[in-house]
Amino acid sequence: MRPLLGLSLRQLLGRRRLLLLLLLSALPVAVAGIIAGFAEEADSEGFVNGLLDGMIVGAILPIVTMALATSAFGDEIEDRTLSYLVLKPLPRWRIVVPKLMASIIVSGPLIIAGGVGATVIAFEAGVQPALAVAAALAVGVIAYASIFTWAGLVTTRALGFALVYVILWEGVIGSFLTGIRYLSVRGYALGILHGLDDESFEAVAERAIELPAAVGGAAAVTLAFALLTVRRLRRMDVP
Amino acid sequence: MTAESSHETGTGEPPRVAATISVDHVSKWFGSVVAVNDVSLEIYPGITGLLGPNGAGKTTLMHLMAGLAEPSRGRAELLGEPARGNVRLYGRLGVMAEHESVYGFFTGKEFVEFSARLHGLNPLDQAVDKAIASVGLRDAQDRPLRTYSRGMRQRMRLAATLVHDPEVLILDEPLNGTDPRQRIEFENQMRRLAADGRTILISSHILEEVEALADRILLMVSGKLAAAGDFRAIREKLDERPYKVRIVTGDQRAMGAALIRLDEVDSVAIDADAIVVLSSNVRALQRSVPRLAQQLGIRLLRVEPLDESLESVFSYVVGR
Repeated sequence: MRPLLGLSLRQLLGRRRLLLLLLLSALPVAVAGIIAGFAEEADSEGFVNGLLDGMIVGAILPIVTMALATSAFGDEIEDRTLSYLVLKPLPRWRIVVPKLMASIIVSGPLIIAGGVGATVIAFEAGVQPALAVAAALAVGVIAYASIFTWAGLVTTRALGFALVYVILWEGVIGSFLTGIRYLSVRGYALGILHGLDDESFEAVAERAIELPAAVGGAAAVTLAFALLTVRRLRRMDVP
Repeated sequence: MTAESSHETGTGEPPRVAATISVDHVSKWFGSVVAVNDVSLEIYPGITGLLGPNGAGKTTLMHLMAGLAEPSRGRAELLGEPARGNVRLYGRLGVMAEHESVYGFFTGKEFVEFSARLHGLNPLDQAVDKAIASVGLRDAQDRPLRTYSRGMRQRMRLAATLVHDPEVLILDEPLNGTDPRQRIEFENQMRRLAADGRTILISSHILEEVEALADRILLMVSGKLAAAGDFRAIREKLDERPYKVRIVTGDQRAMGAALIRLDEVDSVAIDADAIVVLSSNVRALQRSVPRLAQQLGIRLLRVEPLDESLESVFSYVVGR
């Protein structure tokens, strides 16, 4: 799997959009800096609801992961290089796993660094909340990467699909149908955040699902979409 | 010569060995477009040319043979096993797709090594060196592929296709972008591989490319297998067909009147700009036209074939 992981990392790191994603990931840190500079006293509820849930978990986490994971296979299809990979005597999961890992390895550190950095600055956070944010974002990255890697293989309009999923499913529908939280990556991330440090993240208590449900849900989604990607790779007509 | 739905051996002779590629009543359609229409054929060790105009369905047929696409109907087998969903077979198969895209950031050597690693070759240095040497690109192997010319890229892609020493080669338009010298080297390389008992299928839309190389030809037109067999037999059939030749001279009437008396000319049509001659023996016509013009003292301004395109050649073969 190493040559394929190496290839996928070079593909993801070599594109200009990485710079854009780097800036996007750093945005919460800048916003947190501004908040910390101007606020007279720390507004933990405002930070958790606005910056952490609204901006980081709700927008930057899915957008950065989406941009990288949809291109894991999407670029191979667009550049017509996918046949170099599939015409090899490899079980298909050995093609999917390194692609997925590359998306996680590239987007994970960007998002986690931005999220943890913002938390530490604005929240004057200690180790526990910082770890909770890191864990929640890591799980979010893994689950989103799995969904969007699949989308990149299934449709040439994967970005459109991903935006509809995030905005419509997790945003609009999720806001009035509470059960959606159990079927949404944002729900899993908030569940882990609150589950690991309910004191610091009291503000999301109403929206957070139970920790075991969040971890189990994220694991199930990740596994299910990875399997769907393997199945798709087996059955699709390769251009 | 034509192949309707019967099994074509692609040899014109009874086969002595088992077919390495076998396609049985295979069709493939995309929505309402039929790309491959009820094709049955068998391919044996040696070099087989898959010939047809652009859009004839050659690439789709090759994809079906390589298991890259699911047939809408029928069955494709490779080395006696189903071609689709059988990844183990790729260890014995080398495919060079028509599109020429590569990972531009890889050096030539990295690209071939990448292929070797995915094939599980260990140790791989010797195989990689041998493959790159066989396409004559040792000097350029450490340059990124994006700096390669089109012909070089094609050759390095061929090296990556050959690195695991496959028994069966499916090469889709491998000569695109190569110059005449590279073409001769390619032909020699293919002949060596064929002499070693490998099965090689090479597609092309250019008759002459395959003529020099393949001893068996499959002709595809509009998704159907139009003809299959020994190249010479097909070539003779093609030579028999009447060609239209457009001739422009200083005096169309006098030249037209003289041309109609020639044995090799079937008919002559004269208009204000040119003479259009229909001839069944175009080789003889090539010799007699300049001679006639010289005898009559008429200036010969232009001689050009009107229907040299493969489409017209194939429609003739299919129509027989």
